Amino acid sequence: MRRVSVRAVVITALLVLGALAVYRAVPAADVQEVLIGDVLPLTGNFASLGQQYLWAAQTVEDIINTDYADLQIPLGPGQGFPGLGGAKAKFIIRDDQSRGDQARTIAEQLITVNKVHWLNGEGTSGNTSIIQPVAESYGIPMACHPCASPTLTEKGLKWFWRTGPNDRTMVASVFSFLKEWREHGGPTDLKTIALFTCDNLFCQDNRKIAAELAPKAGFQVVLDLTTKTGATTLASEVQRLQAANPDVLFLVQYTAETTVFQGDAKRAGWAPKVIATSNGAYSDETWLQAQKKTNGGAGWVGRDPTAIDLVHDRPSWKKVNEIYKKYSRGQNMGELAMREITGLLWMADVINRARSVEPAALAKAANDTNMSPEQLIIDYKGIKFDKTQQNELATGVVTQIGWDGEKHTVWPWDMGRRANFKMVYPNPGWQERDAKPKPAS
Amino acid sequence: MELFVQAAVNGLQMGFLYALLAVGLTIIWGLMEMINFAHGEFLMLGMFGAWWLSTTFRIDPLLAIVPLGLVMYGLGVLIYEQLMRRVQLGDPFTQIFATVGLLFLIQNSAVAVFTSDYRFVNDTLLTRLSGAKLQILGITVGVPLLIGALVALVLFLLLYLLIDRTEFGLALQATSEDREAAMLVGIRPQRMFAVAWGLGAALVAVAGAILANFFAVYPQVGLQFTVLAYAIVALGGFGSILGTLLAALLVGVVQSVTVVYLPPAFKDAFVFASYLLIGLFRPQGLFGRF
Repeated sequence: MRRVSVRAVVITALLVLGALAVYRAVPAADVQEVLIGDVLPLTGNFASLGQQYLWAAQTVEDIINTDYADLQIPLGPGQGFPGLGGAKAKFIIRDDQSRGDQARTIAEQLITVNKVHWLNGEGTSGNTSIIQPVAESYGIPMACHPCASPTLTEKGLKWFWRTGPNDRTMVASVFSFLKEWREHGGPTDLKTIALFTCDNLFCQDNRKIAAELAPKAGFQVVLDLTTKTGATTLASEVQRLQAANPDVLFLVQYTAETTVFQGDAKRAGWAPKVIATSNGAYSDETWLQAQKKTNGGAGWVGRDPTAIDLVHDRPSWKKVNEIYKKYSRGQNMGELAMREITGLLWMADVINRARSVEPAALAKAANDTNMSPEQLIIDYKGIKFDKTQQNELATGVVTQIGWDGEKHTVWPWDMGRRANFKMVYPNPGWQERDAKPKPAS
Repeated sequence: MELFVQAAVNGLQMGFLYALLAVGLTIIWGLMEMINFAHGEFLMLGMFGAWWLSTTFRIDPLLAIVPLGLVMYGLGVLIYEQLMRRVQLGDPFTQIFATVGLLFLIQNSAVAVFTSDYRFVNDTLLTRLSGAKLQILGITVGVPLLIGALVALVLFLLLYLLIDRTEFGLALQATSEDREAAMLVGIRPQRMFAVAWGLGAALVAVAGAILANFFAVYPQVGLQFTVLAYAIVALGGFGSILGTLLAALLVGVVQSVTVVYLPPAFKDAFVFASYLLIGLFRPQGLFGRF
């Protein structure tokens, strides 16, 4: 009886292992479609971001599956994945309504029901942190490229990668610029700073890093205000900022709150010498376009992952932008879309190099990545991962919105010289903004 | 002290706008005792309507309040006739589920039609005046918000007269107090409910048209205002038009003054704390009746 039981256990174990092996080690020749699960906030609070990620996914699916012979980026020429016998890419896109609980459920469904080979999303750091454990527990490769919270890659996760810069890199860009500006012909009398941020993970990460870097850059923090996301008025916050009278305002707010802030600051007639921002509205193409009708953003300084004014000269950027516009109702790629597309093209390259959709092979190919800047549509110095699986070559640049309503690169200084832009300083007052011609009028 | 007065004045101006957006809910929820979680979505439709009329036909949102009010009145009546009239017959929980469903239907339809992009109303009377301000005893009053607040106040007073001083208003109140008794004197309750839904939707859409001058317009914009509207109606006293006005002003001032002295996180906490405090002594709200 005892012998039979042992035999049964061994046979069962072998059967299970065999089944797992069949499930995992899918031979390259058998892969007809590579399934990419994409969890996105297409409705709810972060829908305007999710929409750009959706267009980015559609663009990359198009690039992989269509032969763009003259497009010199990964998977541009040829159809499908050559490393997988021409298998096509299929994105399975699901809306999580900007809710973490929903994102988690969807991630589980995509892995267990749809059997996706790769998980992408969620596009916001907070919700991504909620679905990371799902991918980790099932051993499925996952990435979020526009997510900027440093914590996402600092948890020791085995199955998560990020090609985009994190907030530490990007906020550091802003403070490096502010610190070095004095030695590059900038104002020497900027001594104080106020931090004005929203209350979610992204904003608070930015705030903490800024609070740490500001004194090192020679600034005294005179006020540190955190506001609730979804504020209907910020008039009193503006009053407090006005009373603190900082030389520099470091503002991290989403589009709706930035608009409320602008209205309240204008009513109060308050404009600090410098407004420096970090993502949020500054990365939102719709906000940028709206500023062209009001001059509201002129003079704002912010961080970007790429020199958006210089990148236009790249033939690959132009071509990818043309494809993107097919899906975006004519909108150009904003920096968020560029980060996402860069990341998804890296993912495609990984799958192609792995010549398999087996997770271990994908992970190995991901960790072996060594992409040069020429292969990218964005200004990173390349893609190569550190031990936390964060791209150590992802960089930030600092841009400023000019009176033409466009972003111009000002830092690093060599890129600033190439952009040849005369900086707007001090940050213009509201009367000057009203008096000047508006780019979109 | 100057900071306090300035904050209080800012709060009062916002309070008038809050009053207009909450009063529609006062009629539907407070007066007629029907739950409507889609209230913020009517506001969002009003904002989108103002944006669309402004960018397509160059109709100023302050003028657009007339066509928008009429269209939204019709939509409110339609929603009552086709949905809420049936739902009203069931358990009150059914109203919650029906209006939450309505919320998602309207919001997601807006996403499908307009996308989730942020829209901005430009080149209107109030946006052209942005930056114009009055200085009174060292206190700054922004002209656009002041005009918005005055328009809201005028509309509010007209509504107050309609509800409190006309036969129609009395019929509406009678229906809310005792439907059977109202029927005995010839009032048709279903008609009154339909009118209440129409008025509620129209008023909040009008508030949306004014608010579009100050806020970004996007499909999810309604939610942040809905929460405030519910607090205001409960604070003012269910069904009390005057209570709604005073509660809205109180909410505006509390929000504004709190932030001058405390971290902004306390802003809404204090709004709801005021409700709890008043609830301890006057559970029916400032002007409500049991």
